[in-house]
Amino acid sequence: MSTALEVSRARLRLEPKERASLTARIVVPVASVLTATLGGAVVLAIDGHSPLEAYVELFQSAFGGRNPLVRTLLLSTPLVFTALAAAVSFRMRIWNIGGDGQLMMGAIAASGVAIALPRSPFWVLIPAILVAGIVGGMLWAGIGAGLKVFLSTDEVISTLMLTFIATHFMEYLIFGSFSYWRDPESVAYATGKPIPEVAELPRFWGRLHVGFLIAVLAAVLVWWVLKSSRWGYETKVIGDSPTAGRYAGMSVSRNIIAVLCVSGALAGLGGAVEVAGVNHTLQPTALETGVGFTGIIAASMARLHPLMLVPVAVFLSGLVSSGTALQQMGIPIDIVLLLQGLVLLFVAAGEFFLRYRVTLVARRGRR
Amino acid sequence: MADDTKSAQAAPVAAVRAASISKAFYGVEANDRVDLDLRWGEVHALLGENGAGKSTLCSVLAGLYRPDSGEITVEGKPVVFRSPSDALARGIGMVYQHFRLVERFTVAENLVLGHPNTPIRLPRSQIEAEIGEFIEDVGLPVSPSARTWQLSVGEQQRVEILRLLYRGVRVLILDEPTAVLTPQESHLLIARVRKLAEDGRAVVFVSHKLDEVLEVSDRVSVLVDGRKTGEVTTDEADASRLARMMMGRDFVLQGRRKEPSVPQVRESEPAEAVLVVSDLSVLGDREREAVRGVNINVHRGRVVGIAGVAGNGQRELAEAIAGLRPAANGSVTIDGQDVTHRSPRARIRAGFGFVPEDRLVMGLASNLSLRENLALKAYRRPPISRGLLLSDREIRRRAARLVEEYDIRGGREELPIRLLSGGNLQRSILAREISEDPNVLLAASPTRGLDLAATDSVRRLLLEAAQGGLGILLISEDLDEVRALADTILVMFEGEIVGEVDPAEFDLEAIGLMMAGVRRS
Repeated sequence: MSTALEVSRARLRLEPKERASLTARIVVPVASVLTATLGGAVVLAIDGHSPLEAYVELFQSAFGGRNPLVRTLLLSTPLVFTALAAAVSFRMRIWNIGGDGQLMMGAIAASGVAIALPRSPFWVLIPAILVAGIVGGMLWAGIGAGLKVFLSTDEVISTLMLTFIATHFMEYLIFGSFSYWRDPESVAYATGKPIPEVAELPRFWGRLHVGFLIAVLAAVLVWWVLKSSRWGYETKVIGDSPTAGRYAGMSVSRNIIAVLCVSGALAGLGGAVEVAGVNHTLQPTALETGVGFTGIIAASMARLHPLMLVPVAVFLSGLVSSGTALQQMGIPIDIVLLLQGLVLLFVAAGEFFLRYRVTLVARRGRR
Repeated sequence: MADDTKSAQAAPVAAVRAASISKAFYGVEANDRVDLDLRWGEVHALLGENGAGKSTLCSVLAGLYRPDSGEITVEGKPVVFRSPSDALARGIGMVYQHFRLVERFTVAENLVLGHPNTPIRLPRSQIEAEIGEFIEDVGLPVSPSARTWQLSVGEQQRVEILRLLYRGVRVLILDEPTAVLTPQESHLLIARVRKLAEDGRAVVFVSHKLDEVLEVSDRVSVLVDGRKTGEVTTDEADASRLARMMMGRDFVLQGRRKEPSVPQVRESEPAEAVLVVSDLSVLGDREREAVRGVNINVHRGRVVGIAGVAGNGQRELAEAIAGLRPAANGSVTIDGQDVTHRSPRARIRAGFGFVPEDRLVMGLASNLSLRENLALKAYRRPPISRGLLLSDREIRRRAARLVEEYDIRGGREELPIRLLSGGNLQRSILAREISEDPNVLLAASPTRGLDLAATDSVRRLLLEAAQGGLGILLISEDLDEVRALADTILVMFEGEIVGEVDPAEFDLEAIGLMMAGVRRS
């Protein structure tokens, strides 16, 4: 029993916080990004680049001016949809990680409908495309819901596997067969049939299409529905305790199906918007970017808040869209990816400070 | 490994002394300059209501919390614990209210887990043999090869104690050890705790039950609102003196046993049956019949009490009546409607209210706010429900009204409800259920784990509701409670109703025998 051991040496004290203050919720993420920036600066300097120049270029190419900003917003559009899909289901602790698959099925359904109705006016065609996307994504997530409710299959597995199936199905439609979706004139390099011109989403502010506005609108709608509807309340209760939900007379199965269908519908709508707004055809390579998983990251960073995830998605897209410009500066792609990774890592780690109160405790003298 | 305890005959030596311990959480003093000393060979009871600071003090002693000020000495030497393992190294260990065992491990594996002398690889048979021997020496029987999840709560608690003893702990802190036990198991535990102390260890025994404290301890320290209000040797203490010290005011001990002061209607005027359970059988979790051919009639304005040791089918019975578990046979009728095969929601609509045993998981969504929890059933009806939408204003209005009416204290309405104390949680559930104006209310262990004042207020609420015409089915292990509240007492044993007793002719021994499975012809 030595006395030296009895001297306190710990200087940090952690206490869980019940609720982070509004200031903390703003200051912490900003500080995290700044810290990541500093870390990235060190890496850039070691690799022989000027950190300042690189960061100026990063910002300029992502948000500086109309064209960079439009490019970023275009990139962020599908991300907002998949992030919403993740947020809706995660709030009820239903882990739909198949946003990608649902987005693809939405795109397949939307392009199918668009090709099938070549002579319709835009005010029929565009709503039809969007509805088709919703239905496609909903059905795909609905399979996962059915498996979960009736066969107790874990939705993490089923939605992930359904994504693989959707990917291969989509590739088969364009690359593997002369399907209804494939442009029969494309031989050397297979492409999808173009959708009718009137079906293309109107553009404004340069190349930006109204899909981005639809995404923002969807976010507002989801936020409002979750906040003020009976259904939103039920998902909240069940998310916290399914037992309490059952006790209060809620149907847990019905809510699982509903939440997965809504989640899939949002991702599917994202697919339709990509087809009608950007690709104007079913283009597998453009839809296989893993935007469903990035959506999960965006949703988590926004703490599953439907409104918060919009700026987060724009921010993440900015990081991605500046990548090309940085490479043109001679910064290797690995360093670019590293910079992006640092930001994500620090923001995620910053969450810690929102959950715990850290205080410095004076070191006690030795006795 | 086994402890080298001092002989019981030795004069009491201060084993651990805590001097002027203070600890605050979020500005609330959980402990305010508390002194406590523990002697070898003694059981020292810590008595106090819920929230008096007992658990905090124990956690400070066990190294889980660091006190804001104050000093701890072990056998005269000052120590500072940075973690529970520091305390363990000094021979101080604590059994928490929520057990910390690895459920998939065997008893033996749980004992060697984290033990500094455990070799990296050791054949299981050898470990089990060694542990078996140790268990025999200590005299807390449990099979070393049993998987922990298969054990009863009482046995798991024994494993917790054994684990500490195996690590050489000589100062044993038991935080409300009887809260999770049946009365029988409690008695057994108390006898064993006495034995552990007689072997020379020091034991801290936390409780808010007076009779237990009188039975188990040598000395008693009483905490009220974080302060120590007194210390007595148990020989000089009696229940009413301890109760006075604990309540911090004059308190009539009989209050707990006495009929609550609300007058009751006991005349046998014919009243309609609001709950009829007939020939109900229910399967338990292991597909065994947990409830067998049970018949119950609850009339408007009456309280039917079901007494029995927990685990005799009460939980399954309650869940079957609530619609959370299917009936294998028989029927359940609520206010004239056969709801045997209907959903929980249909039963709620028929006028069924339920105060479940498990408050924080079933009765409440614990991370949601008090406000949201109070709307848990009313959200489907106007004025809160407006078509597909909810009226936030009505949710607030309802919460404010219930908080006021049912005296729910200690929390802002928008904060997570789990921050409330046990009594306030239970009052919240009762407020929600009773304000729904049901025909029948099923209350399962409504006062378990509550302190005296909260228990009293919950019982009052139940009786007032019965007076207002509500039929109540009360399932409780607490015989005093059943006797004080019920108009008819049914005794449940191994899934069957084995007897019916008129509370006016309450015969403790007869009921005790029935609860133990001895039938009266």
